[in-house]
Amino acid sequence: MIEIKGITKTYGKKQNAFLALDNISFDIPDGTTIAIIGKSGSGKSTLMHAMSGLDRPELGEVIIDGENILTLKQRKVDAFRASKMSFIFQSFFIQPNETCYDNVVLPLEIAEVPRADRRAKVEAALSAVELTDKIRVKAANLSGGQKQRLAVARAIVNEPKILFADEPTGNLDSVTGEVVESFLFDYSKKRQATLIVVTHDPDLAAKCDAQIEIVDGKIASIKGLTQSTLGKAE
Amino acid sequence: MKIADTIRRAGRSLRQAKARTLLTSLAIGVGAFTITLSLAGGQGGRDYTDAIVKANTDVKELSVAKKAQTSTAIQEYTTNATSTTSGPFGGKVETISNADIADIEKIAGVESVTPNYAPAVNYVTTPGQKKYVATLSTYSPSVTLDYAAGSVNGALADNEIVLTQDYASTLGFAQPADAIGKTVMINATKLSTSFAAMPSAQDFTFTVKAVSSKSGLAFRSQSSMLISSNESKTIYTYVNEGTSVYGKFLLASVRVSDANKAGDVKTILEGKGYDAQTAADVLGTINTFINVLLGILLGFGFLAVLTSIFGIINTQYISVLERTQQIGLMKALGMSGRDVGRLFKYEAAWVGFLGGAIGSGSAFVIGTVANPLISKALDIGDISLLKFAPLQIAIVIIGLILISVGAGILPARKASRLDPIEALRTE
Repeated sequence: MIEIKGITKTYGKKQNAFLALDNISFDIPDGTTIAIIGKSGSGKSTLMHAMSGLDRPELGEVIIDGENILTLKQRKVDAFRASKMSFIFQSFFIQPNETCYDNVVLPLEIAEVPRADRRAKVEAALSAVELTDKIRVKAANLSGGQKQRLAVARAIVNEPKILFADEPTGNLDSVTGEVVESFLFDYSKKRQATLIVVTHDPDLAAKCDAQIEIVDGKIASIKGLTQSTLGKAE
Repeated sequence: MKIADTIRRAGRSLRQAKARTLLTSLAIGVGAFTITLSLAGGQGGRDYTDAIVKANTDVKELSVAKKAQTSTAIQEYTTNATSTTSGPFGGKVETISNADIADIEKIAGVESVTPNYAPAVNYVTTPGQKKYVATLSTYSPSVTLDYAAGSVNGALADNEIVLTQDYASTLGFAQPADAIGKTVMINATKLSTSFAAMPSAQDFTFTVKAVSSKSGLAFRSQSSMLISSNESKTIYTYVNEGTSVYGKFLLASVRVSDANKAGDVKTILEGKGYDAQTAADVLGTINTFINVLLGILLGFGFLAVLTSIFGIINTQYISVLERTQQIGLMKALGMSGRDVGRLFKYEAAWVGFLGGAIGSGSAFVIGTVANPLISKALDIGDISLLKFAPLQIAIVIIGLILISVGAGILPARKASRLDPIEALRTE
């Protein structure tokens, strides 16, 4: 369960202050796939950063499994992200000069997973995105769709409970984009993992269990979440 | 992130920028090369002088002379002061008389005092050969000699002589071994002969006991023939008796009963107005020169390292800028700022290790190849002037790794403080 309570984030100071997030509240039950939709500059990426503890809003709480990650020490937040969260970005952020194996193993190294367990996990993750045969291939030699599948493998290798995807299909054509989407939804279903997709693609948003629309830093509408959580948003 | 994983990742990042890594390490390599070579030269040089001094002097022996006059005032005449003769550079040098020798012999710990007779002789010859200019020295059992033929065990008998290889061949012996057991004559003139009489001269006959070979260590054996101390005295007495310089010596060698007492005896001698040099003093003087030279070389090496530090800082900064997104991603995936900083410090450590290995390695290879050539050029036999100690090389490399890590601190700090959100913003 992820509980978002009264998140408020401003950029700039005093007269130049810009309210990026204005008192955002909602709950996400475990295993839900949820889309955060909105125009660029609406604050949806800022919301994702706050939810993942990358950013620290001035006000509000992000309570994951009963713990407010915004009041944790930086080291604890890092450890939390390493063990429970993962990310997929629009522009992949894979290391082109490294092999697929070295790209995928990175989260395991960061989370200090024992060496003996790594190979099996990397192979399982690559097989989940159908890149098993590319394990020794340099990431630079992959096509765009394969690169994003590699990023998905890297995101799921340590079996996170929460998966953030920031415009995961933004740089892909619709066919390859749908393949990547299916891998994400498959993982969420199989592991009961929460999938949070930030997108302005309505087709992708429609595939999620719930949709939250952000306009100018405020929640404009929520679909698919229970009434109790809706009440908090108002 | 575990340290082993961080080190591996750091190494991998460097491999992806091979040219840059290599060039940065080469800058350190120049420093490592210079430092390693000068350390090897220092070791070799000190070992070499140590061996020379050990082979030519005895730790139980002190070389003693009267202390040089520091005042230029004219001395009042005393019977002893008449003994001054001109020194090699025109100054007055006081000499050691037989009375002085008796005095020195009384010092506790002194076993014997032998004046340096160094008799001036006319020539050396063998039957049927021309006459050649000769220099004689006194044989000392404590000085190591290399022999081309024959050998001397213990003391040299009074009628025996040790030739040098050069004298042996000049005197017509085809092989050094041919000279053994043959007779050579040394001719000396009596200086006190009156003007009226014909100058009298005498041949002293010796049997060749051994021929000393050229050695990288022995300096005396290369120029002088060696005879026993008694025989030196005989010739000296014949040449100088009746002259004003008879019984007055520039140098005397004092033999102490125990090597540990050499220092004490030296102190006493200096109190009595003598200059005394022990083997350790001789070694110290030579080593001072070597150390100064190597200090200068080491200085250049450290200067090169200092320059390369700025190279490392620069490349590491560029590397941080280039990999902003990678750093952002690693932080998003939960890598702590400390670990990110560590990653860049280890990269700097790798650069330092590479530079040290390249520099020290090439110094070792070039030094090992050049050693025989240097020895040949300096004509010092099979002695190596460059001695590489594995421990020294290891310390140089470890030192450079630490220096590189130090240079990497600033860029690493920049990386560790990078804001992941800013780093991941691509638009």
